[in-house]
Amino acid sequence: MSDNNEHIMAAFDRDLDGIEALVVKMGGLVEVAIHDAAKAVATRDLELAEQVRTGDKAIDALEIQINEETARTLALRAPMSSDLRTLLTVLKIAAGLERAGDYARNLAKRTEALAALEPISGTDRTLRRMTAEVQQMLRNTLDAFVRRDIALAEQVRQHDEEVDEIYNALFREFLTFMMENPRNITACMHLHFIAKNVERMGDLTTNMAEQIIYMVSGELPGDLRPKGDQTAFMTGQD
Amino acid sequence: MSTAKISARDVMVHYGDNCALKDVNVEIEDKTVTAFIGPSGCGKSTFLRCLNRMNDTIDGCRVAGAITLDGEDIYDKRVDPVQLRAKVGMVFQKPNPFPKSIYDNVAYGPRIHGLARTKAELDEIVEQSLRRAALWTEAKDRLHTPGTGLSGGQQQRLCIARAVATRPEVLLMDEPCSALDPIATAQIEELIDELRQNFSVVIVTHSMQQAARVSQKTAFFHLGNLVEYNETGKIFTNPQDPRTESYITGRIG
Ligand SMILES: Nc1ncnc2c1ncn2[C@@H]1O[C@H](COP(=O)(O)OP(=O)(O)OP(=O)(O)O)[C@@H](O)[C@H]1O
Ligand SMILES: [Mg+2]
Repeated sequence: MSDNNEHIMAAFDRDLDGIEALVVKMGGLVEVAIHDAAKAVATRDLELAEQVRTGDKAIDALEIQINEETARTLALRAPMSSDLRTLLTVLKIAAGLERAGDYARNLAKRTEALAALEPISGTDRTLRRMTAEVQQMLRNTLDAFVRRDIALAEQVRQHDEEVDEIYNALFREFLTFMMENPRNITACMHLHFIAKNVERMGDLTTNMAEQIIYMVSGELPGDLRPKGDQTAFMTGQD
Repeated sequence: MSTAKISARDVMVHYGDNCALKDVNVEIEDKTVTAFIGPSGCGKSTFLRCLNRMNDTIDGCRVAGAITLDGEDIYDKRVDPVQLRAKVGMVFQKPNPFPKSIYDNVAYGPRIHGLARTKAELDEIVEQSLRRAALWTEAKDRLHTPGTGLSGGQQQRLCIARAVATRPEVLLMDEPCSALDPIATAQIEELIDELRQNFSVVIVTHSMQQAARVSQKTAFFHLGNLVEYNETGKIFTNPQDPRTESYITGRIG
């Protein structure tokens, strides 16, 4: 549980353990969804893409269940201090996971459109690498949550910069491909949305990691993360 | 000078050879509700009683250190404890109505301190006080029956009415709601919040939720020590001492 010493009231520990188990389960489903969605996109696997889309319902249902059980525990147990912070964190993580699940579904949705188009050489591999990074970040975040590991959560925050860098590089590549040959535009637009979604998943995961730091220490990390998406300043002329 | 209403320096209390409080240092702010929390026997009532010299009346109880009210030493020889207790009122852990009528219980303080010039004024103070203590509706038709004939929770509210009737500058309340239903509790909490506009209130409570609801500052006592004293919001979301954390989250410390 959250601390090595237990509540005097064992039922409280059971409630918290139950909610944490739901979060871990939800996180596991989102991890799989991210992995499968990226794979479906890369291999143009329509069946796998469909699986990701239908699988999102289970993720949404878990969020609702977590919200309900958290509300119930807040009302019945009136938690304080670390218990309160844990439940607040649970709510935020569940909300972040639900959004990440939506992004995975969006990825999967584009598989069909991409399957009808010429592949854009090289970018698929970069996209998979980026997705693998985010997946690893999410796994570390869930581990940090279960183990109350601030150092690991901090590592996730730092990792997000790498994801942002990959995204910025991909953005440049897409621009180049589109300028080279206008027939690449449709595929590049789809791929760019995918890359942007993966980058957003990284941000969501980072927010979860920050929330875990708050849960454990009582303080949100002070220094602001560098804003990773620099594409707002890119013109295609540089 | 600080803005402290009451300031305690190195307060140490013994009952015979038994040390009940050690090295308590705290500043109780004016126009603030301060909650004292902590496990049974940790010294909350003992410390509360130091603040209006109620311990003077307990055999074998010795208080060391310095306690000031508005900068003046309350243990100074020239201070009259009776006058002090009019300024620093108290509601005890166990309701202790005088063996008198409900009316006389409340009118007692205002009478001896000459707070009312006429019978009408006294009636007004009694009604006001009973209303503020959320007892008026139940008591108004039996004002001249004995206070001891009330239920436990009603007696508790009678004692609250008696304490506010003298308009103390500081009100010390030792578990004032322990025998009250949720409605009466809410009314007392509203009263406490209202008193805070002009006075200091110190409340001992075993209910974390009550401490969180009514107080701005919270002090956690443990085994005769003042372990942590901070903003109430801070204490209940992110206490600094592991003993506080264990206590408020209901863990074995
Ligand atoms: N009149 C007394 N004579 C001797 N010892 C006393 C007396 N009053 C309190 N003590 C002792 O002093 C210590 C602190 O008691 P105190 O009543 O201040 O605790 P408390 O924090 O108010 O507990 P509770 O929450 O149970 O009311 C205890 O060990 C108690 O036994
Ligand atoms: Mg007590």
